[in-house]
Amino acid sequence: MDAEALHSTLEALRPTLLKIARLQLRNDAWAEDAVSETLLAALEGAAGFAGQSQVKTWVVGILKHKIIDQFRRGAREVSVEAQMQAAGAESFDELYRPDGHRVHPPLDWGDPEATLSRVQFFDVLQACVERLPAGMGRAFMMREWLELDTDQICKELAITPTNCFVMLHRARMRLRECLEMNWFATERGG
Amino acid sequence: MKQGWLLIPCRHAHELLSERMDKPLAPGDRFRLWLHLKVCDMCARVERQMDFMRRAMRRLGD
Repeated sequence: MDAEALHSTLEALRPTLLKIARLQLRNDAWAEDAVSETLLAALEGAAGFAGQSQVKTWVVGILKHKIIDQFRRGAREVSVEAQMQAAGAESFDELYRPDGHRVHPPLDWGDPEATLSRVQFFDVLQACVERLPAGMGRAFMMREWLELDTDQICKELAITPTNCFVMLHRARMRLRECLEMNWFATERGG
Repeated sequence: MKQGWLLIPCRHAHELLSERMDKPLAPGDRFRLWLHLKVCDMCARVERQMDFMRRAMRRLGD
């Protein structure tokens, strides 16, 4: 790919990268920084990109590294909202009957491959992650997108391991409900 | 489903399903979850959904 083509490809990817960086960092200025660093690194490293993967996959990989680097450098102050959200009561009481069964049985989500091939599904997924409270969303993105282990997440968010597991569980339950309601129970997902 | 040492409610099964994605379960919990999933189709469904959400999240932005 020549320099000009790479330039315009990267420019086109910028909004997507920003969106994901915001989901992870929950801060517009930090997201801008991370994406700028990423695009710069992509331009500098273009010679090393042999086209072995999609440009997008390659650049998203750089973005992940840049964000993890920020964590390692301790560049961002720890947010207290994560601690508060972990400690707060959220029992999902409305989801379960007193005997521990669900009030509404979970839907059959059908063929995973078919869902993952739909671009619109990922818009709904992003919207659902965005709807998580900030601290919870950051922890969830660290675990499931950056694929960090819980030790690293606890350390970064300065929360106890117990709170970390609780918060990730709550995030998964909320995300499950949100996807079911906004995708699988609708025409689009059905 | 009755509750007891071996039999856990769906609510607890969901907690264990999630916990299992972050660390290995204690042997007792692993067995209780396994047993629950054997007999509870609805939780087996949630198990597949958890796996699906993980796959989907890893493809975010790809």
